[in-house]
Amino acid sequence: MTKNKIIKRVLFIIPFFLIIFLILFGGFYGYWNSASPDKTCSSCHEIGKSVDSQSKSSHRNLHCKECHGTALSNGIHSLKEKGMMFVNHVKEKDSGNIRPSEEQLLEVMTNCQRCHTSEFADWTSGGHSIDYQHVFLNTKHNSTEQINFDCLRCHGMFFEGTVIDVVEPLNTKGPWKLKDGKRAAMPAIPCMACHQIHQDGLPHSRPDYAGAKSIFYQKQDTGFVAGFYDRHEKIYLPVSQLPQLNLWEGERKVRVSDDPVMRNCVQCHAPNAMHQAGTSDDRTPRGVHEGLSCMACHELHSNDARKSCKSCHPAISNCKLDVTKMNTSYADAKSPNNIHFVACADCHKDGIRRTRN
Amino acid sequence: MTNQIKLNRRRFIALSVVGAGGMCLLSRCANSPLSRWRFLTEQESVLLDALVEQIIPTDEWPGARDAGVTNFIDKQLVGPYARYQETYRKGLSAIRETCKANYQKGFEELNWDEQTLFLKKMEAGKMAGPFWEKGLDRQLFGLIRNHSMQGFYGSPRHGGNKNNVSYKMLKLDYPVIIGQNRYKI
Repeated sequence: MTKNKIIKRVLFIIPFFLIIFLILFGGFYGYWNSASPDKTCSSCHEIGKSVDSQSKSSHRNLHCKECHGTALSNGIHSLKEKGMMFVNHVKEKDSGNIRPSEEQLLEVMTNCQRCHTSEFADWTSGGHSIDYQHVFLNTKHNSTEQINFDCLRCHGMFFEGTVIDVVEPLNTKGPWKLKDGKRAAMPAIPCMACHQIHQDGLPHSRPDYAGAKSIFYQKQDTGFVAGFYDRHEKIYLPVSQLPQLNLWEGERKVRVSDDPVMRNCVQCHAPNAMHQAGTSDDRTPRGVHEGLSCMACHELHSNDARKSCKSCHPAISNCKLDVTKMNTSYADAKSPNNIHFVACADCHKDGIRRTRN
Repeated sequence: MTNQIKLNRRRFIALSVVGAGGMCLLSRCANSPLSRWRFLTEQESVLLDALVEQIIPTDEWPGARDAGVTNFIDKQLVGPYARYQETYRKGLSAIRETCKANYQKGFEELNWDEQTLFLKKMEAGKMAGPFWEKGLDRQLFGLIRNHSMQGFYGSPRHGGNKNNVSYKMLKLDYPVIIGQNRYKI
């Protein structure tokens, strides 16, 4: 065979196989991304459980790729990731507890905002959108309280290492720096800290317009959407499974709202081990607000409470008082009367005069 | 050119379509019904459900079966407890064969008291017959008892204690509610 013939043959064979490969890959890729997850993703034993939980969740009508993307959605990075999944599968590497990495979760989170735009905007404007650098490089905090492993329970809960791998030095002197500078702007409390995307629930649906009750108080219960990611156990607990807080003010048991969503809040905004009110990061309402849920005043995603007073204390109030101007931390951050705990007796030292009807 | 590759356009398209279809079928091959168990067979899992339920029966709280103890054991048998695989396989088979020989039905089909009696004999090491190697009865009973306790009372991450049932029964807050040593709110 002459040299020219070989070159001609090579020039024919390479594009030929390239085209064959593209057609095969295209067919397979198209099939994989359009067929039911029962026939694709859950073919892998490791993913079956996730597909099953997703099929019972409020996100059941979405295809896996809507949130998790495809093998090509994140370029070479996702190709490599999917390739490794295949290799591990063939090697029968035990992946019984397969779960997304922090990086993958944050990629999924960018897809959350496509549908939940308003919630995402609210979250961005609130304290829970705090990033690693603002949590772990806070000089005031770090010099007052030793950074420790438990910080990651509520901040950076999806980080795969320990706090030693996040920040250094672990002392109260500093100066502190993140071990991996790339984490600086990463969210430390992402959506998944309080939401399991595969949690049991029903998708919202149109009401029965003929039955007015079904639009309001007899509306179908779609289930709670909040829960807590337990970093220690690497499992997710819906609010219905979280314990209610038992709180004590000295010997007196404080009345705590039974709002299930509040059970999520107190996992991080928690009192000390003795469950004494006002200790550690406890902000459970007491005093005039005892028994209220956090959600009575705080917006769900932004946690904004600036407009909350007027929900319960309207301008046309029976007492004719504008509560927003009272001497509390709501009106003045330096006020000794914390809005979470303020009681009548804090201002009315000699008791309260009985009003005439 | 005598050895020229002859492939006209029509044949090329036909081959490509067959190839692409073949790839799709490949993924269907992978879609054969997958067992939810890692080590156990379906039959063994039903038997083990009945055995663990005897160790921690359902009362006003769910028992070992509903707490997912079988799932715990199955999960551990392909992990840290891989060394017990043979004991479980032989032991479960021995229970099945003994019940078939003595009662003409499976252990899980026996009534509660018959099951209890059977397990008492196992615990005492009094199982006889060709299915039982020396000491297998006591060894298997010990394993099932210990693993039932671990699965029921241990962390849900290991496959048992479904919905934290034992924590709730013991009135343990889970996860523990405890704050940081906050210096000032």
